[in-house]
Amino acid sequence: MTATLFSPNTLLLDKHADYIAAYGSKKDDYEYTLSEYLRMSGIYWGLTVMDLMGQLSRMNREEIIEFIKSCQHDCGGISASTGHDPHLLYTLSAVQILSLYDSINVIDVDKVVDPFHTLFGVAGLSLLGDEQIKPVNPVFCMPEDVLQRIGLQPDLLN
Amino acid sequence: MHGRVKVKSTAQQEEEKRKEREKKLKAFVSARDAVLRKRSAGEHDEEALQLTQQLLSSNPDFATLWNYRREVLLQLETSREKDEVQKLYESELHFIEACLKVNPKSYGCWHHRSWVNTRLPQPDWTRELGLCDRCLSLDERNFHCWDYRRVVVKESGVSVEQELQFTDRLIGSNFSNYSSWHYRSTLLPQLHPQPAPDSASNTSPSPTASPQIHSHRVCEEQLLKEYELAHNAFFTDPNDQSAWFYYRWLLGRAEREEMISCVYVSRERERVSVAFSKPVHAQSEGLMLVLDGQPQQVEWRSTHPRLRHSPVWLCDLPPGSVSDISNEHNLTVHWTEKYTHRDCALYTGCAESWCRDSATDQELFRSELSVEKSSVLQAELQSCNQLLELEPQNKWCLLTIILLMRALDPLGHEKETLAHFQTLKEVDPMRSSYYSDLCSKFLIENTILKMEYAEVRVFSLSNKNLTTLCHLDQLLLVTHINLSSNQLLRLPPQFAMLQCLEVLEADDNAIESLEGLYHLPKLEEVSLRNNQICKLSDLESLASCTKLTRLDLRGNPVHKTANIDSELSQLLPLVTALSL
Repeated sequence: MTATLFSPNTLLLDKHADYIAAYGSKKDDYEYTLSEYLRMSGIYWGLTVMDLMGQLSRMNREEIIEFIKSCQHDCGGISASTGHDPHLLYTLSAVQILSLYDSINVIDVDKVVDPFHTLFGVAGLSLLGDEQIKPVNPVFCMPEDVLQRIGLQPDLLN
Repeated sequence: MHGRVKVKSTAQQEEEKRKEREKKLKAFVSARDAVLRKRSAGEHDEEALQLTQQLLSSNPDFATLWNYRREVLLQLETSREKDEVQKLYESELHFIEACLKVNPKSYGCWHHRSWVNTRLPQPDWTRELGLCDRCLSLDERNFHCWDYRRVVVKESGVSVEQELQFTDRLIGSNFSNYSSWHYRSTLLPQLHPQPAPDSASNTSPSPTASPQIHSHRVCEEQLLKEYELAHNAFFTDPNDQSAWFYYRWLLGRAEREEMISCVYVSRERERVSVAFSKPVHAQSEGLMLVLDGQPQQVEWRSTHPRLRHSPVWLCDLPPGSVSDISNEHNLTVHWTEKYTHRDCALYTGCAESWCRDSATDQELFRSELSVEKSSVLQAELQSCNQLLELEPQNKWCLLTIILLMRALDPLGHEKETLAHFQTLKEVDPMRSSYYSDLCSKFLIENTILKMEYAEVRVFSLSNKNLTTLCHLDQLLLVTHINLSSNQLLRLPPQFAMLQCLEVLEADDNAIESLEGLYHLPKLEEVSLRNNQICKLSDLESLASCTKLTRLDLRGNPVHKTANIDSELSQLLPLVTALSL
């Protein structure tokens, strides 16, 4: 991409902010509807830019928070939009939005972060031979080198 | 995909378009609502397949629909015979291909296709490979397709040779093929691995190292052929970066041996400073300090709170353990995680001691491209210089020549290197900051080498257009540093690694931040004339340098601060000679 003679060389911040503020209201827009599968991320991208421009207050905080609440599923994961399946990408976007709004507790935080599943997931990858993860002891679910260092060995029950 | 192409049209055409889009939208929304309703009702039938097909055909990124489709297909499998299942999934593959035409980079499509192959009673890997060929011919850099290809190759047992020939074909028809060159770099070490090196010198090999698995290097015979291939490419089209990046990979990057590069002991402060070959987190490295044969209980700390991973760490010895100057002591620092250690003897009558590997001996600054013999590097330098004669403004060529010269003889080629950097900034002004920083790095490296050669602890690099500081971990022993008349903006936290620093001259820069002047135990004199120190708070960290007595701040905006004289004498009561 090369700059042409007529490209502006300053950021037209007000215009950018106006565009984003108006974007969410285009509910009868074809592209808007088709991009529903990434709505949560789209909201995040818009909000974070508005925040950078100091214009976050122009966005509808209450509506967005209600929307996020409606997107959390029983498993704890969050979907891109109501009725869609939960996914890591949109869970992250939702958490990012709630951080911007300092409202992380409107969702079930404990369910979003399941430390046992995360730990088991990583251990599982290691046991399956993922080279980028340290060898993990399948009994203790901890890295082998840590166990060696602290001298922990499983005792077989008689 | 994300935007709309603007097309001039009459008001009537606009209206027609609007009506059409409204119709399309309505159809989409009703189908979407119907599908989501069926899903929540748990219906897994033909209608679900039809609806999802309709929606995915125009919107293949709607991931939830692929999930639903899989649920339906699994359900249908249970009521079908094997040959029907085969047909079911074969038609699914046709459908996916149609969706791929809409968006060849749809995560959902490629993932679903992989999944279908796991359900097919008889997958057809030849067809799948053919699909990859076709997709790549349309877009050589479609990483979804490359990933999928790797899966197909693995499942169907296509040989590495065959895949290498595939890259030959792609590169042969079009040199500008970054993905193919990259793929080649992963295939070559499998087909022509570099034989395992002789056992290492002073350290025992790490138990996890395995040359067969972890070496990504290629044997010399094949490398020479690859150099020719790269030459052909960049002589044909010197502006295409793919071949240049591949070439740099060929020239190699040596793995630096993990070790303790310096141990410094100060009797007066009863402190040990340790420099490692890479940033570490001391508390996790199994460090052990042994003094005169006795392990010591010590706590390691970084030189600056912002540096939680750092190449330099400090610890205090038990009080009275080394303070008597008539005693000789032997100190060893063990890095148990890496099975290595370093000794340092503190002799009678000596206030300090150190043990350090020289950067020269370690060929520290040649590790950019150092795997090859210098005869090979010399030949490559010649080739590149030939190209430079034909293309004097080619930035890739210039940069590669600089790297080759540094690998061969950093000090000997210094003048030429600076001249090439000048040219680079002229021909590629958009990246002039990058070149300035890189040039600064190389000048710092050369100064370290010269300092070692002269066996002094004075580091002087003034009036050299320095834009950044680096390798500060190599300056642990430096007592005097002169960085005047450059373009530095800050003395970063890493500057706190200069634990032996006594005198700092950094006049005539643009320094705003002095974060790195933090708990420098020997720092006595600082000159920062004509910089950009604006606020009193910018000088706060100096209060931690308890030996500081002389400070020159003339020509800084901070002098305009109200009551600056009294504020400063409050902040820095120990400074007796203060110039504003």
